Amino acid sequence: MEPVRIEPVKALDEVLKMERKLAAGMRTLRELDDVDYGATDKEAIYREDKLVVYRFKGSQRPTAKVPILIVYALVNRPYMVDLQSDRSLVKNLLAQGEDVYLIDWGYPDRADRWLTLDDYINGYIDRSVDAVARHTGADRINLLGICQGGAFSLCYTALHQDKVRNLITMVTPVDFHTPDNMLSHWMREVDTDLFVDTLGNVPADLMNWCYLTLKPVRLNQQKYVGLVDILDDKAELENFLRMEKWIFDSPDQAGEAFRQFIKDFYQGNKLVKGGLHIGDREVRLGDITVPVLNIFAEQDHLVPPSASRVLGDHVGTKDYTQLAFKGGHIGIYVSGRAQREVPPAIHNWLAKRAG
Amino acid sequence: MADLPKNEWMDQWQALSRQYWAAWQELSREAAAASGTDPASVPWHEGFEQWARMFGAGDAGKQSETIERVLASARNFTAFAQAMIAAATAGQGGAPGWQEALRNGFRIPGVAATPFDNPVAQALREISGAGARSFEQMMQGLAPALDPAREAKSWLRTPAFGFLREHQEHYQKMAVALIEYQEQASRYNALILKASQRGFELFESKLAAREEPGRQIDSLRALYDLWVDAAEEAYAEVALSPEFREVYGALVNAQMRVRSQVQQEVERIATDFGMPTRSELDSIGQRLHELRRELRNGGSVSSGALAREVETLRREVAALKAALNGRTSPAKNAEAGGAAKSSPPKAQATRKRPRQAAPKKRPPAAAALRADVDEAVSAVSGPAQSPPRDRKKSPPRARTHAHAPAHAQRPATPRARKSVAKIAHTPSRVGHPVATFAERMAAFARAARRHAKPAVAAARRNQRRGGH
Repeated sequence: MEPVRIEPVKALDEVLKMERKLAAGMRTLRELDDVDYGATDKEAIYREDKLVVYRFKGSQRPTAKVPILIVYALVNRPYMVDLQSDRSLVKNLLAQGEDVYLIDWGYPDRADRWLTLDDYINGYIDRSVDAVARHTGADRINLLGICQGGAFSLCYTALHQDKVRNLITMVTPVDFHTPDNMLSHWMREVDTDLFVDTLGNVPADLMNWCYLTLKPVRLNQQKYVGLVDILDDKAELENFLRMEKWIFDSPDQAGEAFRQFIKDFYQGNKLVKGGLHIGDREVRLGDITVPVLNIFAEQDHLVPPSASRVLGDHVGTKDYTQLAFKGGHIGIYVSGRAQREVPPAIHNWLAKRAG
Repeated sequence: MADLPKNEWMDQWQALSRQYWAAWQELSREAAAASGTDPASVPWHEGFEQWARMFGAGDAGKQSETIERVLASARNFTAFAQAMIAAATAGQGGAPGWQEALRNGFRIPGVAATPFDNPVAQALREISGAGARSFEQMMQGLAPALDPAREAKSWLRTPAFGFLREHQEHYQKMAVALIEYQEQASRYNALILKASQRGFELFESKLAAREEPGRQIDSLRALYDLWVDAAEEAYAEVALSPEFREVYGALVNAQMRVRSQVQQEVERIATDFGMPTRSELDSIGQRLHELRRELRNGGSVSSGALAREVETLRREVAALKAALNGRTSPAKNAEAGGAAKSSPPKAQATRKRPRQAAPKKRPPAAAALRADVDEAVSAVSGPAQSPPRDRKKSPPRARTHAHAPAHAQRPATPRARKSVAKIAHTPSRVGHPVATFAERMAAFARAARRHAKPAVAAARRNQRRGGH
């Protein structure tokens, strides 16, 4: 039997339907303004260079006594955690009674080219933690690290455990040498010193190009074929464009920090192999004895689950919890399932350790 | 479709194509986009081309990038669909042969064959539309600057000499870098082509798996999605191979060498015209950054004389601590003979200290040392940092001074003295956290020396007696 049974009339209908959607979509697209993002009101509580620490304001006073500081990755903008009203990790955490703070790294330029991981972790993050502690009066705070920010949070907690009450990592790479990690595979033979010495800061466009080439046909063609289906739906189209903006609204990467991150994490895999030094101190995951909640996405093509789930084998804590989310690297913040599952899971886990 | 004889299916398809074109013209009548050609021979994706012309970048404003992206993808989708159908119905008689159509490739009138011969490469090229700059594009951007290098290719085997020797050598390096990059780009493209070919193989096998009743594909979109699955699977196979890893690294490294050479040329020209260069700005930025780090860290971490002095002090204190431990640990005390016995008054005095949490467990010499350090630190820190104590409640200090007046008067070693003098008394350092730290360190060192010396002497005596 033939594998394809496409009736000509049906095929024609499909193509015409696509044309109609396009015709309607062209009008919709032309009527749209630039999409906005950020659903939750916030105030800046600390500024330093291009960094700003925000406190999100919920509709009610937080019931949690220990604040959460979100440490996002350097490679994308942090508003993904508060993209829009119905897709907001922050909003849902606030609704659970948490007190939520966020580090916004800003957009590094050539003046930031010499920032090292020591500057980011022992400098910016440490001072942000202090600022949040001062602002809330807490002696220790909860840290929520996301993606690369999760790796930073692991380093920070290992080095400054006296300031961290609980550590939560989301889609965080720990073992960078798992066989399904395509990004790591590609970076292994790159001469990082030559790369950074030549580029200075690493351009965001180059980073995005690299991410898109992980799945070139799906991310660059199929996604937009699918977009035709929603072209006549203004609300859906705005959602799509908001996400599209986030994907490509990327900061350049400070050269020295990028150099160390690629050499020590991607190439050397020192977070699990050992020998990772931030500043003048060695990072040992075994030194982390505070409670750890590790959340990863089962369909994550950027940080494969295998790269995250090994964390439990390396941290020193006896209170380690792991949560596998059914979704991808982005879906873990914005999907409907994520809104239902992730914030309550974080809140309940923290509540059990609030005593 | 599969139930119809092929010729009949073809007739029906062509009739529907005319119908499609008429429908499209109806949709786009406001744009007066009548083509005037035979509709049956016009590829369906031409409709999307017309949309692209109607809603070009100039008209679409802020969303033009999205429009461009959607149209390109829709065009590819319909071209793929029509190509599949056309190829499958090209033979005579019988049902359409999908596998045969795949083997023959997607040849579409009006569309360049290359993208469909190598759809993965096409997808990679199209990424640029999103504002990204692929390596390929970067090289295109560099093309004007590379012209001198191209001219210099003929010089590659010529040794450089004379007044322009350095320039010639630079151009030779640039040309070599460019050639190497082109070689690596060819290797990379070959692997991308391999991924495309493998994609068609996988597509065939995925189609074969759909021959079972109930699993057939009944829509163009489902057919397209299956092809995408196959293309991505094949790409991942290749991209995760050791060969790809090596080629990818070589390609990136080769391009960086070209860029580096071009940057050097730009800097040379900038210097000739008296303009600031990137290297100069970076150099200033680096110095500024190091200065900021030093200030932020209180000067204790960065390199420099101050850091070296603090490090020296740390080492001295560590050595003294080690010596002191050797004197006070029970095992070593036994080996050291009279060393422990030499300081019973201190032990006694220590037990009298009310603020000690566990005075009986603390070695007597250590307690005396701590008392001395407390006193010294208190002295240098001032009342704000260390509240004044009731001297009547501090017999250890009195006893310490009574027992070791010579040590108390002994000045620090020249190195330590210099450190303290420089750190603690430099006007700009007064009140500085580092100065405070240095003062505490020096005080600690002085106190430790006073108490460690008898222990060290005892240990040496013991060694001379044959002890360990």
